[in-house]
Order: sequence, then structure tokens, then C-alpha cells
Amino acid sequence: MNNREPIIQVNDLHHTYLRETPLEVTALRGVNMEIHAGEAVGIIGRTGAGKSTVVQHFNGLIRPRQPGRVIVYGHDMSDPNVDVRAIRQKVGLVFQYPEQQLFERLVGDDIAFGPRKLGLPFEEIRERVREAMEMVGLGFEEFKDRFTFSLSGGEMRKAAIAGVLALRPQVLILDESTSGVDPRGRKDLLSRIDYLHRHHGLTVIFVSPNMEDMAGLVERIYVMDGGRTVMSGSTREIFSQPEKLAEYGLGVPQVTEVMHELKARGEEVDTTVLTVAEAEEEIWKILNS
Amino acid sequence: MEDFEFLRNITIGQYLPGNSLAHRLDPRTKITVMLLMTLAITFNISYLSNIILLLVCLLFVLLSSISLKYILSGVKPALGFIIVLAILQLLFYGDAFVPYNTASRTIFRWGWIHITNGSVQLVIVSSLRFLELLFLTSLLTNTTTTSELAHGIEDMLSPFSKIGLPGHELSLVVTIALRFVPILAEQLEIIMKAQASRGADLGAKGKLQLIQTTRQVVVLVVPLFIDALRRAEDLILAMEARCYVGGRGRTRLSRLHLTGKDYGAMAVVLVFAVFMLAYRARFPF
Repeated sequence: MNNREPIIQVNDLHHTYLRETPLEVTALRGVNMEIHAGEAVGIIGRTGAGKSTVVQHFNGLIRPRQPGRVIVYGHDMSDPNVDVRAIRQKVGLVFQYPEQQLFERLVGDDIAFGPRKLGLPFEEIRERVREAMEMVGLGFEEFKDRFTFSLSGGEMRKAAIAGVLALRPQVLILDESTSGVDPRGRKDLLSRIDYLHRHHGLTVIFVSPNMEDMAGLVERIYVMDGGRTVMSGSTREIFSQPEKLAEYGLGVPQVTEVMHELKARGEEVDTTVLTVAEAEEEIWKILNS
Repeated sequence: MEDFEFLRNITIGQYLPGNSLAHRLDPRTKITVMLLMTLAITFNISYLSNIILLLVCLLFVLLSSISLKYILSGVKPALGFIIVLAILQLLFYGDAFVPYNTASRTIFRWGWIHITNGSVQLVIVSSLRFLELLFLTSLLTNTTTTSELAHGIEDMLSPFSKIGLPGHELSLVVTIALRFVPILAEQLEIIMKAQASRGADLGAKGKLQLIQTTRQVVVLVVPLFIDALRRAEDLILAMEARCYVGGRGRTRLSRLHLTGKDYGAMAVVLVFAVFMLAYRARFPF
């Protein structure tokens, strides 16, 4: 972990939906988070824990109210004069089922929507679209002139994510954006995002109910429950406390669970493993000893 | 600062659970009361009668547990429309409307613009009527679930089935339409947020350029329509899968019963509405 200023800082954030109506629902009751440049951070918690509400504060879709504070790239987001468009360009947010946002007839045009809004010259737009499409694994020449609504579900999902990447964000937030994709498509998408994180220094904030995906991608995890951040730490630290996670209705990756089970049966194994490969190594160790 | 939370401003159509008198009345009673009151409101154009009607509507609000502040917040989204309408009426309706009991007097005339005591009255009465109707529709939908409303409509239309009116189907159409309003509002909110996240300047102040505004609408309307059509298709499939065939021979889990309260409420409102209609030309101002 570095000691530089965090790029996103959240202090004691509260939020109530449908405020001042008889239907108001309190979603956040005190969230604290810090995200540094170049990190991959996960946010886990059961449904209704407030994960989506928190991340929508990161690009100004929801503004913080007193006493909560959200600082993004040095801008206090409660200030109504903050240039949210500039922030949204730096902090890209991909929603659950992002294919619902597609509207252009051709794939290339749809991905070009963001860069066009920036008023960039044609060549630059084309370059960004090409780059974004390659990043998600859609061949530029092959897909740019295809009809948007003739794509398969997985391809639509990729096109929608490319639409956000075309803005060249420094932070990418994925809010359950991989749910509803077939396992192979999800694995492919995750490995591409992992690549962008490792080789392009993209800061990734990952919200997912899937602990396996989480373990494979992020370095640090925040656990949320009832609108509060209740645990935080490195991925290994968090997943080495299955009892505590169970209190919040959460589990650990299956391989980690297997290791905990082995340990409970008296085997000398490392319970902090997160991936199948690591688990395999540990199990060979016992078998060979 | 843009606010993406529409449902905060849409108060009509939102059921609020409760146990007040307005909640307990039979939906058919509430629909009848609403129809009678609407008749009385549409035919009364004097100041005094509209003040009386507004007070009665306020009384209805008091008889429910719905807060007046919540109902009034429903005016907000329509405010711009009301103001434009009021200005048009004030400036151009001077010759068209002559109030009862008084002669038409010109207050201001300049070219096409002709303001009379009649057009002033029209503006004020229109605003009062708008409030009265807002109270009534809000109350009906805030205190009645959509299924109750549908049953009520179906029952009230059933006598017309002899002449071939499909009462059940009509009530189903109404139910589905009402049910889809909050769903589509929520969906629109998600689409707006998603488009804003990739650079759309929704809600940004400044340039009022027609082409830009139109393109903004396309960005929202295309995804919203696709979503609405897909939901409709899903609904059809779900209904087919459960062998839905319409109302014939169908029984209900909960039957509607009119109680003494219902007959009382209908009688009181009927007398009041008949009085307001019969005396509508005799109010002194």
C-alpha cells in the first residue's frame, strides 16, 4: 500500500432514498473508504447493504449530504459547482446489465458516444473506439459496423463496457457488471480487466456477489452491512475470517472454504489460499509429507 | 445540481399503506366519489364554489393519513406547465370567457393581448381546479392498491358486459399501465445514470439547443422503449405460461363488500355534488 493521497476518500457517508417522502429508505449509515491510485479494490456485502449507492457517489451520480464527505481527485463532491463531467471522465462506472444503455444502430457509433461528447477530432475518436474495443476483446474491423442489437448478450455487454473505456477513465467501477454472463464470458472479461489493471495502471473498484471473481481480481476488500463499512483489509485477511463473514451473510471462495475444512480436520494447511492453483500446491504439500 | 431520483416527485399512483377511513373504503366507493367530485369541479367556474370544493378536497386529505406536504410535492413536476397555461389564458382568453353574474370588463388591452376580469378569473379558477383534481387523484391512488382499483373498475363495468364491453380486460389494461409507471421510472433513472456515466450531459445547464436536446432524448428513449417492449414480452410469456384466459369464470381471493360507511360516504358526496351542480350559476361571485 502506498502513502500517497487517496484519489477517492469517503468519510462518514449517509444516504436516504426518497428523502422527505413517506417511502424513504436509508441506504447508507456511515461509510468510510479510501481508494488509492492503481489499486484493485473489492466491495462485498449482501443485497441492500448499500454497495451500489456508495459507488454512485464516486462519479457524482449521487451527491453527498452533511455530515458525509466524498473527495474525488481533490474535489469535494458536495460542492454544486464541481465539474461532474470531468470527474465522470476520470471515474468510469459500469452498471449491472450495462447493455441496457446501448442505443445507436452500429456498435462503433455507440462506443463513440462518449468521445464525441468530449468534442474530440474524428481521428482521435476512431482511435479511442479502436483501443476500447480491443481492450474488451471485440475486433475493431469485425465489430464496428455490426448492428448493435444483433450482437449476442455477452458481446453487447463488452460493447457497453467499451463505451465507458473509450473515455479513457483512470478509475473503472464495475457494479455487478459481470453477472448474467456465461462463465467463460465472465472469465474472459475479468482477465481483460485484470490485464488493464496490471499493465495500464487502471484503478479498479469491483462490486460483485461472487467471491471467486473477487479473489482473482482484487487486492483489498471492504465489507459492507446495513449501510456501514464493517470490515476492511487485504483480500487474504478478509477471506481468512469465514466466521465473521458468515455473520454478514457472506461466504469465502470455495477453495478457501476447503482449506478451512482441511485445517479443521487436523491437516497442516495454509488457510489463506484464494485460487485453485494455490490450493493445489497446498494439497500436494500434505500428500507428499 | 442534477437529481436523478424521479420517484421523489411522482406522487400520483404511489400506494402508501395505511389504515385511515380513506384506506378502508371500498374502491368502488372511492371511484364513485372521485367521479362525482370531478363532475362538480368541471362544471363550477365561480370563485366561491371552487373555494368550497377545495376545502372539501382538503377535508378528504385530512380523512386519510396522507400528509398534505407529500401530495403538494406532486405539483412540482407540473409547475412549469401550469404557469405557461396560466399565462396563455391570461393574455389570450379575454374574449372567450364571460363569468356568471358580472359583466365583462377590460382590464388591459394591447394588440392581441386582451385581459378582462373573465381571464383573471379563468386563471385563478384553473389553478384551484388543478389543485382539487390533484388532491383527488393523489388520494385515490395513494390509498388504493392497484389490484383493488382494478377489481373496483371491473365490478363497476360488469353491468355493461351485456352489451359486449370487456370489463375485465379493460381493468387489466389499467392495472398493467399503472403497475408499469414506477418500473419504467426506475428504469429511466438507471439509463440516465448510465448515459451520464459515459459522458452524456444530462441536466447540464446552459445551451438550449434544440438538436442537442433532441439527441439527449434519443439516448434515453431508445433504451427505455427496448426495455419496455422486452418487459411486455416477458409479461405475455408469463401469462401464457400460466394459461391466463381472461375474466370469464374466474373467481377472486378477496371479494369486495360495501359497508354502511361506503353507502354513507357515497350518499353525502352525491348530495353535495348534486347541490354544487344545481346551484353552480347562483354563487354570488
